[in-house]
Amino acid sequence: MRRIKLPTFMFILSLLVIIIITSGCGQPATQVSEPPATKAPVATEAPPPTKAPVETQPPAETGGFPNLGGKTITVAVENAYPPFNMIDETSGQGKGWDYDAVTEICKRVNCVPEFKQAAWDGIFPAMQAGEFDMLADGVTITDERKQIVDFSMPYVIVGQVLLTRIDETATVDEFKADPNRLVATQIGTTNEIVAKENFPTERVKSFEDFPAAVLALLSNDVDAVVIDNLSANGFMSENEGKLKIVGQLTSDEQLGFVFPPGSELTAAVDAALKSMQEDGTLETINKTWGLSQ
Amino acid sequence: MQESQARTLPSRPETGYSVASLPWWAILLGATALLLIYLILSDANYRETFLFLKNGVVVTLRITMIAFPISTVIGLFVGLARTSKNVFFYTVATIYVEVIRGIPLVVLILMIAFGFVPIFIEVTNAIGAWGLATFQAEVLVNFFSALESYSIRSISLELRGVIALAIGYGAFEAEVFRAGIQSIGRGQMEAARSLGMSYFLAMRLIILPQAVRRILPPLGNDFIALLKDSSLITVLAVNELTQLTRIRRASTFRVMEAFNVAAFLYLSMTLVLSAAVRLLERRLKIVE
Repeated sequence: MRRIKLPTFMFILSLLVIIIITSGCGQPATQVSEPPATKAPVATEAPPPTKAPVETQPPAETGGFPNLGGKTITVAVENAYPPFNMIDETSGQGKGWDYDAVTEICKRVNCVPEFKQAAWDGIFPAMQAGEFDMLADGVTITDERKQIVDFSMPYVIVGQVLLTRIDETATVDEFKADPNRLVATQIGTTNEIVAKENFPTERVKSFEDFPAAVLALLSNDVDAVVIDNLSANGFMSENEGKLKIVGQLTSDEQLGFVFPPGSELTAAVDAALKSMQEDGTLETINKTWGLSQ
Repeated sequence: MQESQARTLPSRPETGYSVASLPWWAILLGATALLLIYLILSDANYRETFLFLKNGVVVTLRITMIAFPISTVIGLFVGLARTSKNVFFYTVATIYVEVIRGIPLVVLILMIAFGFVPIFIEVTNAIGAWGLATFQAEVLVNFFSALESYSIRSISLELRGVIALAIGYGAFEAEVFRAGIQSIGRGQMEAARSLGMSYFLAMRLIILPQAVRRILPPLGNDFIALLKDSSLITVLAVNELTQLTRIRRASTFRVMEAFNVAAFLYLSMTLVLSAAVRLLERRLKIVE
């Protein structure tokens, strides 16, 4: 034990340094080429061969749509972002626009959605690594995100608003000027970016998810939440008579579904979305969940 | 006597220089640290991440430095109550220790921050309103109107995190103090009492000085553990090191950079602190 040869130690030492260097300098870009299937078998009962990219690449048409051949796709949802996805209080099941829209999309392109609850924080690296086949969470399409994941076509355009308690009297400008007024938002969202553009960083509190931010608003810890107008409506109907919108900060955010880079699902979902737009199905789902009046 | 004999025994035969006798763990750790420092200096991503995260170190240290002394004071008194023969003190202390130790720290933090503090503020305001309606004397009116206008903002989320950590760790410290006090032979207390000392005087002059010396290592460990657990305050959106790491990762999508630098900063703090604790232990040992 006491007499271990120097070369052995040098070998172990250099091995460790190599491991550290490779893990430390690993560019995220190198992960892009990694096939998403590496983690899929854990998440789905469907066997890995369901990928079968050769079959689906020239889409076998089913009434004009690409056919995914009854494949099970894992759909990440947060279940904390009304009206897109949330937990139904009585049944304990997930519900929302995302559930209805993805189910309808899957009906058209012949796939079986399997909804999985995922934390928003860190979702983009997870999507990049192919941990889920699809992310449905009212995600804003941005250039930065496009560099590491793929997006579907935009399905709705939203704006960001300032959600406050019902008794708020200040206007947006007064709000910005008052150093004592704090705003909350969700970590890693475009709302966080907009909040920091409009307010000094030290007045912006980034919470784990929007329910926590709205809770902080209701308990007087912050004075406003920077949030998309649709989810602002969602939270207003969940807390009737307690919240209101005082003003708009942006008006041009396009929301889309997220896929791992190079996913074959992107084209299929786009085709289904387009047909749902044309035959009015999308509008019906939008009306159900208050995405349009 | 036996102890000192054991200490003079050579821990290993002196057979001259050997590779295995080098402190390899320290060399490897040092090499890793140098590598990270090199990355921070040479790689723009690492440098920006470091500059972004270094503000979090201040907040993390502030939270730890405030929460730990409070938890030690709580621990001392609850520990005394746990060894007390008074049924009331013993019961209250035992309930505190058993309940708090059985609740995950993050649940405790959320409970205190979003449950108990808002209720406390509401009760304070209600008392203020009641007082204003009941009394007319000027001093009292001032007092109650202060109570009535007491805002939840006076207890910031960071302060609530500190309170939760102090209460949570207070339970651990109480058990440490209890064990320390009970490790001192009962005869010492009996001897002190028979010399005419009161219980508290004997505690203060005879038992506690010896107990504190014995519990210093576990207290030091808890201090380091508290520093690490201060990362849980991230759920309250306080800009400590972990929160800034998550913000950094979310805005750049660069996972390794953010977490490598955060781990490096945490490790630097804990290693320095454990070295300090060891130094303190050695100093107090000389006295013994």
